[in-house]
Amino acid sequence: MSEVVVVTSGKGGVGKTTTSAALATGLAMRGHKTVVVDFDVGLRNLDLIMGCERRVVFDIINVIQGEANLKQALIRDKRVENLWILPASQTRDKDALTREGVEAILNELRETFDYIVCDSPAGIERGAHLALYFADRAIVVTNPEVSSVRDSDRILGVLASRSKRAEDGLDPVKEHLLLTRYDAARVERGEMLKVEDVQDILAIPLLGIVPESSSVLQASNQGVPVILEDASTAGRAYADAVGRFLGEDIPHRFLSPEKKGLFSRLFRGAA
Amino acid sequence: MASSQPFAIRGTNFNMVVLQLRDGAPDVVLPALERLIQQSPAFLRDSPVVLGLDDLKAEGRQPDFAGLAEGLRGLRLVPVGTTGGSGILRQAAAAAGLAQLSKGQQLFRPKGNAAAAAETPPPAAPAAPVAPVVAAPPPVAVPEPEPQPTALPAAESEPSAEPGQTALVITQPLRAGARVYAKGRDVICIATVNPGAEIIADGHVHVYGTLRGRAIAGAAGFEGARIFALNFDPELVSIAGLYRVRDDLDPAMIGQRLLVSLQGDEMRLTPLG
Repeated sequence: MSEVVVVTSGKGGVGKTTTSAALATGLAMRGHKTVVVDFDVGLRNLDLIMGCERRVVFDIINVIQGEANLKQALIRDKRVENLWILPASQTRDKDALTREGVEAILNELRETFDYIVCDSPAGIERGAHLALYFADRAIVVTNPEVSSVRDSDRILGVLASRSKRAEDGLDPVKEHLLLTRYDAARVERGEMLKVEDVQDILAIPLLGIVPESSSVLQASNQGVPVILEDASTAGRAYADAVGRFLGEDIPHRFLSPEKKGLFSRLFRGAA
Repeated sequence: MASSQPFAIRGTNFNMVVLQLRDGAPDVVLPALERLIQQSPAFLRDSPVVLGLDDLKAEGRQPDFAGLAEGLRGLRLVPVGTTGGSGILRQAAAAAGLAQLSKGQQLFRPKGNAAAAAETPPPAAPAAPVAPVVAAPPPVAVPEPEPQPTALPAAESEPSAEPGQTALVITQPLRAGARVYAKGRDVICIATVNPGAEIIADGHVHVYGTLRGRAIAGAAGFEGARIFALNFDPELVSIAGLYRVRDDLDPAMIGQRLLVSLQGDEMRLTPLG
């Protein structure tokens, strides 16, 4: 049975595309046939983060407008088996996405894939709404700051009222919270919201906490999903999140600042 | 082999002058038109003329199409049909023997500025369906309808450039998300084409900067189209529907002065100069 998973947020720059790439890669690495779809028409960047921008010929808009079929537009990942990418168009605008077109594509993808991960644009306008409309599960990506939490709350409201599941009276979209760019040291100093504060407001299950990490930027610049970076705390956090997404019981990590070794304590001033 | 058929049917495009009517009465329109023709007698002589009906008021008198047609012939014009307007108007025109032509875009304004007219020469349109009036793209045609990376099957690939036809010249860098389409002609970009931008022509594509985005030549199926780049570093190149993405290109060709052409079904990359 296939599931449509939307990765969404109210605010831009919180890590939706990083999360979409990591989640899809993680699911594929665990043997699930997965496709990650870029819905951010006009500002595509999933293909950059997945490192396949040089292989894009056709995109989701070409498929919707009948200029190419789905098979032509899907790009197979070179590193991970079972992983495909459907890129967005940069030269069209979001109005080129139609509900009928999106539905047809998702239905066709459902025939082949176990998981269809949709990287949504930020905000609540058309493109974002279409991405979440057909979702079975939603991952709401939030940063530990007040404005990001507020915007995520707004998105959760939209999910609850304007998704197809809500309109058809089915079980509601299953919601997950992913807290990204978490800096435990700054939380301790009171500069960032605590996990509990965020959960207090949003009140949905916590899928994972991804610590702020320089490896995210580095991986994204190299076109490698950060989950493939074993040495990175963010990569390991995403691997845990994928496990929890699949129903495994994994304790949360990276909640407290990293214990510094004797040497780094001694040389803190010099570092 | 001789054909038994005494004729062949071909679809093609013509440019025609539209006489945009603001009044339907022959005794108002014809004298005014006659005065205009007297100023430059050769200008419209024996030209086919289409009557534009969009500006006619619904509450005014029903235009006398038969009278107008006769009067136009008297002025050595050839009325062929109408375009636009309400259904009632079009029916009245049809009764007077005027064909109903689908709506074309305006490309020729006798009193408009000369530069705008010069910018829009008649396009060649290799294999387009019959349309009475054809529009050339605006100088920078970003939201142009469907230039397709996959070329349409061209019935016959006529040479895309007619004598006197000029290329579309782009002087600004093409940035991510921008798309330029030179319909029925060449495009010359004297700046950079950035990643995420598309430069498309039915004819050749010339880039006298770095080509980092997508370049599509012969978009309507012209297989003789070529892509010229002074610094070749594209995301994708395509000629007449055949394409190569960046990963399929020989890394040694990146950064070179290059000419891309088709030889049969094969894409050739040759150093320039």
